[in-house]
Amino acid sequence: MDAALCAAIAIFATFPSAIGEAWVCTVAINGMSRNPDMYSKLRTSLILSCSLVETTAIYSFVIAILVLFVG
Amino acid sequence: MINVYASDSFNERASKLLDWDLAPEVITSLMCVIIIIILTIIIGCQATYHRKHHPYKKTKGLLYLGEFGVTYFDNMVEDMMGPKFKGFGGYIMIIAVYLFLAFIFGLTGLPSPMTNLAVPLTFGLSTFVMIHATSFKFKGWRYFKRYIDPNPVFLPINLISMWSPLISLTCRLFGNAISGWVLMSIVYYALESLSDMIFGGVLAAGLSSIWIAPFIAPALHCYFDLFAGFIQTTVFIFYSQIMIGREGPEDAEEKLSLEGGH
Repeated sequence: MDAALCAAIAIFATFPSAIGEAWVCTVAINGMSRNPDMYSKLRTSLILSCSLVETTAIYSFVIAILVLFVG
Repeated sequence: MINVYASDSFNERASKLLDWDLAPEVITSLMCVIIIIILTIIIGCQATYHRKHHPYKKTKGLLYLGEFGVTYFDNMVEDMMGPKFKGFGGYIMIIAVYLFLAFIFGLTGLPSPMTNLAVPLTFGLSTFVMIHATSFKFKGWRYFKRYIDPNPVFLPINLISMWSPLISLTCRLFGNAISGWVLMSIVYYALESLSDMIFGGVLAAGLSSIWIAPFIAPALHCYFDLFAGFIQTTVFIFYSQIMIGREGPEDAEEKLSLEGGH
């Protein structure tokens, strides 16, 4: 019961990460629509930035898994 | 722990190999290295032969791939890190090739080397040592100024922030690998139970659990192994190049423009 509660609280941290990624995608798509020539450069930057933003969400997932299966 | 992935018997056998207490991810890491060595030897022999017998012809096949890879990484390193880091392409290329191969290894059903914390930690430490060694090489004893930079009061904050690239690089690789592996384990367990329930009465015990997973698991493998592996490799080498390139010497032009363009 304690382990499940800890894991649930840890997973809370994925919420800001999702909002941040949505913001990044919005701005990137805005840029792509205003400037179709820059499409491929913006796409590369988009994928790179998304993976950097979702790093903290991955940290919280790893902690939840550790708490459930190891701790 | 839910561990009905195919790697169970492999785990047992690998742990007892040569009477050593080896983790199974070490064995798969060794397999990745052997694959890279075989590819390198083949490309090297082909390159020597090609250079000796028809040096002005276009290359084909595996040799073309090797040539394209080396040129691509050399250009990328020169673009991102400046002209002082010319010989760095080889280091970045081997890291990229090994990381991609390690992530893809999950497709075989054996545990990927990245699911053991030691492997991402090694890569993080490698980049960490390169950052500080480069900074020391190009600045000498002025390297210690980075800890006192705006004000000596900032010393504890700077000491803590020197570890943040290491932690972020390690946990990004490890977290992506572990999350993919755990989710795939759960999905396989669920699909095998479902298949057991449907076909349990008709087929024998060992044969009734393998009929639904092969239709749904490949899509998940495509995301967790191929896509995530490619993205994480790219992020790792970009981040390493940027952090190491920052420690390089300032250009003469940049210095002039900073001083007001005399």
